[in-house]
Amino acid sequence: MKIGLEIHVQLPTKSKLFCPCPTTDAPAPNTHVCPVCLGFPGARPMMNRKAIEYGILLAKMLGCTIRDTTWFARKIYFYPDNAKNFQITQYDRPLGEKGMYYLNGKKPIRITRIHIEEDPGKIKRVGDLSSLVDYNRSGVPLAEIVTEPDLSTPAEAREFLGQLIRDIRHTIDIPDDGERSIRCDCNISVGIERCEVKNVTGLKNVERALTYELVRQTKLLKAGGKVVRETRRFDEERGVTISVRKKEMEADYGYIDEPDLGIFNVKELTERLKIGESPQNMILRLSKEYGIDEKTAKQFVSTSVELAHLFEELAAATDTETARTWTSGAVSAGWKSFEARGGGDAAEVVSLIGKFKAGEITDTECNIRIRAFLTGTDVDEVRSGSADLDSIISEYLDVNPSVIEDYRKNERAANRVIGHVMKRTGGACSSAEIVDATKRLIEERL
Amino acid sequence: MIETSILSSLSKINEKYQMFRTITSDTEAGDAEFLFSAKDNLTSKDMETCSGSKILEGYRPPFDATSIARMRGAGGLLVGKTNMDEFGFGTFSTNSAFGVPRNPYDPERSCGGSSGGAACAAAVMDGHVAIGVSTGGSICCPASFCGVYGIVPTYGRVSRYGLLDYGNSLDKIGIISAKASDLGKYVNIMAGADPRDPTSCMQPDMGARRKLKSVAVPKDATEGVSEDVRMAFTDGLETLESLGVDVDTVEMPSLKYAIPAYYVIATSEASTNLARYCGMRYGHQKGDLSLKFDDYFTSFRSQYFGQEAKRRILLGTFTRMVGFRDRYYSKARMVRQSIIGEYRSVLRECDAVLTPTMPFVSPKFSDISKMTPLESYKADILTGPPNIAGMPHASVPCGYDRNGMPIGMQLVADQWDEGVLFSAAEEWEKTFESVRPEVSI
Ligand SMILES: [Zn+2]
Repeated sequence: MKIGLEIHVQLPTKSKLFCPCPTTDAPAPNTHVCPVCLGFPGARPMMNRKAIEYGILLAKMLGCTIRDTTWFARKIYFYPDNAKNFQITQYDRPLGEKGMYYLNGKKPIRITRIHIEEDPGKIKRVGDLSSLVDYNRSGVPLAEIVTEPDLSTPAEAREFLGQLIRDIRHTIDIPDDGERSIRCDCNISVGIERCEVKNVTGLKNVERALTYELVRQTKLLKAGGKVVRETRRFDEERGVTISVRKKEMEADYGYIDEPDLGIFNVKELTERLKIGESPQNMILRLSKEYGIDEKTAKQFVSTSVELAHLFEELAAATDTETARTWTSGAVSAGWKSFEARGGGDAAEVVSLIGKFKAGEITDTECNIRIRAFLTGTDVDEVRSGSADLDSIISEYLDVNPSVIEDYRKNERAANRVIGHVMKRTGGACSSAEIVDATKRLIEERL
Repeated sequence: MIETSILSSLSKINEKYQMFRTITSDTEAGDAEFLFSAKDNLTSKDMETCSGSKILEGYRPPFDATSIARMRGAGGLLVGKTNMDEFGFGTFSTNSAFGVPRNPYDPERSCGGSSGGAACAAAVMDGHVAIGVSTGGSICCPASFCGVYGIVPTYGRVSRYGLLDYGNSLDKIGIISAKASDLGKYVNIMAGADPRDPTSCMQPDMGARRKLKSVAVPKDATEGVSEDVRMAFTDGLETLESLGVDVDTVEMPSLKYAIPAYYVIATSEASTNLARYCGMRYGHQKGDLSLKFDDYFTSFRSQYFGQEAKRRILLGTFTRMVGFRDRYYSKARMVRQSIIGEYRSVLRECDAVLTPTMPFVSPKFSDISKMTPLESYKADILTGPPNIAGMPHASVPCGYDRNGMPIGMQLVADQWDEGVLFSAAEEWEKTFESVRPEVSI
């Protein structure tokens, strides 16, 4: 089985691709519109350069070749949500070509191309006989990433998409607004001919749609039937794909270059724009470089790339084991609160752990002070709260010494303690704090 | 104060010549400093904009074209929208859905096209300035047929924001007037970068005016042109020489490919531009809503597009299709590059390339109706080359045939070098005596 994906990602620009209309949620249908994105006669596109910058960052992240010049094209098809009855996209000269993405850092997935295009409007069906069109989305910038058919199972496709999206979010700083903002066209072939399932939203639905197609095509072939090349649609509620139309060949769209935008020289921009390490690569590097397991590395990076950076600073200042223990423990426990307050310089944490290593403060004291720093709370307040928390846990462990024995066999035994303490404290402490304190106190008794 | 008596007689004039699609209801000019008209493919907030097409009947754009806004800003009063071939598709203004403008020298003859109404207004109305649009000859042709001056600035000189596109890489907005000094004056008002048309943002400042010192005449410039035109052109050359202008003959072998290349590029682009007219969002919308959307679009487009619009959509769609794209569209763009190259190398040696504007004087409507599409496309043989190259060019009146029909000649200058055309036209006006048409209302 071969699976290739075409992934559409909305780029986080403030205004649309070719006009100044905002890309934010609109108060009502057809309010974030103007003559340009409504395709009114005489209006023409103006390039939003920020979209090209985002496109270049993504092309770099995917290891694509970025040529010095790029330009746009008109793709002509008649549809009510397509304001001009042509879409401005890229054809002959996409922003990036011939890239590579390593799934789990290992399996190469070839990236055919990445290009920028405008999103069409949205059609809302009203009853059986009519539809309404909302052009608020018309002209929102999209990046389309096309892979070669290098994915071999629906689960793998989902995994790939998950990793890719996390990397994309990190590279161009898209807020995590759920899976819905990712739309995907899935090409799948069990035999020779392939089908395309258009416009599937979200990771889970991609896997469901592909699995349905896998079963459908396999059955069809086994029964001696033939798969026809066609476009299908995924019905989320019923979990089935439905034939929409015979697949047009790309060339049928009669592309011509967009004459109103001209040619963009992106050489300097490409040289100037730098991308950091992608989260997926960071997980693999941390695990390899520091000898920590991938799960821990993933936990750090998923919490925040900044947390992972702090882990590296700690490892440099002390040693890997100290860095790992403290990062998983007290630092992770307070990190969300730290970032919620704006994040920033966490050098204080490195210095506190340094003091603990040098024997200047106890680990309990170090723990309290880290917590106080990260949560922005007074040290004494944390100390008394922590003492209360510690004493509740200790009391429970004193009464139930079997927990310690169970914990030796399975760390999940700690959950009993945690559940009890949660009830007792009734929301006064964060769950991260409770987990951290429980593990610390159990481990003291091991 | 400007002469405003014309405002009250506009509808009478229009009855006779049909140069306007829409006219203002103003009878007073207020504090306006001049009166102007705009071709009906330029959007105007206060007037219907149809581009000569039934499909846009009743359309009131929500914004002014930059060219119109700048003319208004300079004190102009828009008196009307001039009649034209549907979307600019034609050489005689006979392809309009709203009547055919009549030539002021002979009402049985054409004003030329596609800015026919604009040239007619400039010829008939004293002191009138008309904004025209040229894609493949649509300013110089009617200027020549109506015996007035016309200028097409360099592609990208005047913002196309608010222009209903024909071929975006070819469309240029210019001026038609009976007065040569209006060319420079009003092009300067409309020109300049406009962020709403990115192709206008690369332009250098308007070059200084300078005297025309030398012209080059392509060797086959008068091949296939009528005897009357040839004679008037030869007279024109002699006059120029007597004014001290050097005249050289040059070989420009690629110009003959301009017309086929022009029609491929123009129709390819036009067929995409016209996709948006489908009876939704603006213009005519009274279709059968019980149809499926694509049937609705088809019925609408079949009913309201004219014959020539349909022909060009088909031609352009064909040349864009896979298998033909490289053979036609891509090749035509290479032809364009070699024509530009040829002009530039000739214009390094001299100030302008000179030819007649049209191969014949304005034909009678009865003859036009007998022409095949190919014959009428061929009328653009001399105006096509500077248009496909995007070079600035102007038509000046240079004589009259035995029936008194005007003849024009065309000067092509280097990119951004409009200055030499402005002063050449003004100098020419001093020696050439125009015969104004007799206008009786
Ligand atoms: Zn807009």
